[in-house]
Amino acid sequence: MSKSVLIVSRQAPWAGPGAREALDIALAGGAFDLPLGLLFLDDGVFQLAPAQQPAALQQKDLAANLQALPMFGVGALYASARSLQERGLQEATLGLPVEVLDDASLTALFDRYDQVITL
Amino acid sequence: MATLHVLSHSPFSDSRLSSCLRLLGANDGVLLSGDAVYALQGGTAQHQALELMPSSIGLFALDEDISARNIEPPQRVQVVDYPGFVALTCRFAKVNSWL
Repeated sequence: MSKSVLIVSRQAPWAGPGAREALDIALAGGAFDLPLGLLFLDDGVFQLAPAQQPAALQQKDLAANLQALPMFGVGALYASARSLQERGLQEATLGLPVEVLDDASLTALFDRYDQVITL
Repeated sequence: MATLHVLSHSPFSDSRLSSCLRLLGANDGVLLSGDAVYALQGGTAQHQALELMPSSIGLFALDEDISARNIEPPQRVQVVDYPGFVALTCRFAKVNSWL
């Protein structure tokens, strides 16, 4: 039985490679059938903002990769309620359906996984 | 399943420490290395937040990083060297490095 891994993605999408790298780990792990969870925390929740136009920055859209997660077997997607609320994002408008969790539920979430990778 | 949280970025320019503190489990540990040891600077909100953690949570700091920055470790902190760091990673069920 593989160890379960929670990937915590906490960087905004366009200023550095962190967001894409966290997503790549999730997709690669999913392709190998690892039991994975992906949590969007802090500025990471900006990856979920709707109708972004990264072409203006000569960057590729993350949305397609995010949509691919369930196809790669990564269905356990979470976001911090506090991070969303602090940044003025509403759950209903997010670009990807995620389970929104409060701080206490996040502590329990970390507990459920064997390993954690925070980027 | 207690977790050792390893922080290495300054808490004054970044939200890693505050997010970590909100998500800590009752038996987790926090290890400060690199610029994260600035959180032990007396008279700061960050230091106060660390002091307010429940006593069940271990607080550790890497010796060479506090020495290099001339930081006086508060009583609450257990100062560890690199072998101590390795021992801690073995003592906790998992390690979460806030990269």
